Amino acid sequence: MSLKKQDDMDHNAWLKSQDLTAIETAFLTTLIWLDKRLRIVDYLELLETMYYRANLQMPKSHTEQYDLDNKFWYWYPLYSLGSLSIIAYLLAAVSGALLGFYYAPSTAGAAAQGDPTAAYDSMVMIMTDVQFGFMLRSIHRWSAQFMVAAVFLHMLRVYFTGAYKEPREVNWILGVVLIALTLLFGFSGYVLPWKQLSFWAAQIGVELALATPIIGEWAAQLLFGGFTLGQATLVRMYILHVFVLPFVVTALIAIHVGIVWVQGIAEPH
Amino acid sequence: MTDDTTPMTDGGTDEEARTDGGPPATVPPDDETPTWSERKERSQGLAQLTYQYFERSRREDEDLRTESTYVERDVLGFPTWPHETIRNLAITSFFLGIMLLVASIMPGHFGDPANPGSTPAIILPDWYLYWSFGLLKLDPINPDLAVLGGNIVMSNELLGLIAHGAIFGVITLVPFLNKGNARRPVEEPGWAALGVAGVILAITLAVLAIQNFFPVPLELLFSLVFMLPVAGGVITYAVLKTMREGYMYDLNRRYYMLRPPK
Ligand code: HEM
Repeated sequence: MSLKKQDDMDHNAWLKSQDLTAIETAFLTTLIWLDKRLRIVDYLELLETMYYRANLQMPKSHTEQYDLDNKFWYWYPLYSLGSLSIIAYLLAAVSGALLGFYYAPSTAGAAAQGDPTAAYDSMVMIMTDVQFGFMLRSIHRWSAQFMVAAVFLHMLRVYFTGAYKEPREVNWILGVVLIALTLLFGFSGYVLPWKQLSFWAAQIGVELALATPIIGEWAAQLLFGGFTLGQATLVRMYILHVFVLPFVVTALIAIHVGIVWVQGIAEPH
Repeated sequence: MTDDTTPMTDGGTDEEARTDGGPPATVPPDDETPTWSERKERSQGLAQLTYQYFERSRREDEDLRTESTYVERDVLGFPTWPHETIRNLAITSFFLGIMLLVASIMPGHFGDPANPGSTPAIILPDWYLYWSFGLLKLDPINPDLAVLGGNIVMSNELLGLIAHGAIFGVITLVPFLNKGNARRPVEEPGWAALGVAGVILAITLAVLAIQNFFPVPLELLFSLVFMLPVAGGVITYAVLKTMREGYMYDLNRRYYMLRPPK
């Protein structure tokens, strides 16, 4: 073997041997020149594969394959409710992050009882002064409501299709935790603007926590920062809403979907 | 082509046509395969039990695999690209679009600032917590004891909390109470009826939470909260049972059409 560079494929000789028009020669010369440097052939191959994949025949549908009652497809859209929860969750996360740039979790600034606080004012500022802010808050609220609705309905679909049975019990229990946390997400968010309704909803929360036997006072301290509502309550709800819950819920959703991935969707039969 | 070609499930025996790339690539646990306990000596306690179990379960898998006549083949599935991807994109954009549309036409209003000094006439959370709020208004059924001179045993808040716990508890237990492999509601009318009753209860409890908006006497409303779910459950049960009879009737008819009674 010599170290001399060998040209196994003498493209130029091949070009000369063909009887080509000027245009064809120019095109091929350019193509060969580019291909030697950029391996265009590989990408053309990829494109070709994609082309053939895209023109595949539709495979048998699930109902055909398993010879199910042909009315069963009615239910299929309900199988997207879990994904819809995730989509709504993501939209809420993005709009929430943007709201976070302007929102101030503080009860300062109220000279007398019933005066707007800094938190309330920052919400008003978002809705009236910030570009697109009114829409932003609306998107955040609605995506949250859509998420809760989707989660409720997703749970019903799992229940009525019997999809929680062995071996999917763990995912059902994870789901129960997830729906509870989703509701807590909603509750803590509801408190943040420190409106009349926010305040009194939180008040009911404190009373409930205090009514719990044994751990009641401790729970009230932990969640609401005391027995009467104030700055501490607001900050705790804020941290819960923008720090603790996002991490916990995101992780649990990842595990939940990971388990679905491993176990597969429960087949209707 | 070897002689010991096993027939494939589709009737052919052509080795070339095998789409599964031959026998399973997993190594059978013969003498040469180290067992889990040999890989690392684990001779006591939970570690040993764990590895004993792993050995058993791998053995079980292998046995099942050897006994099975099932030939692995390419999965006849739904291609990720483009079918699944495009379907998902369509669903996602549709849903995002709906959310943005609703957000832009119904931005919602913003209430007054908090005033710890004046309790508003109506305290309400968002709609999805109405059911929970309704559970806090169960005071008419809070048990009282004659010994305590008609005093209630627990505060109404505690009763509400216990009701929450009971509901979450029952929901959590569902997979352990309802076993078997039935999937369709018609197969288990009782469980479907329970589900429908639960949904209706959530709705009636929500109505109880916003009772001020309903011009119904409180007593009647309170009875309805518990009667309607029961009624809904009974109706569901009856409908599903009837549907089941219908299916059986169809099946029987087909059977007798094929094999008319003598
Ligand atoms: C944050 C809330 C939740 C998210 C994001 C979520 C997401 C998902 C997704 C994407 C799937 C795949 C199948 C489908 O979309 O239908 C799924 C399946 C499942 N989910 Fe959820 N889920 C949530 C809450 C719940 C709740 C509340 C329950 C029930 C208590 C639950 C129980 C299950 C079960 C048992 C499956 C497996 C169903 C099957 O294999 O057919 N999930 N979840």
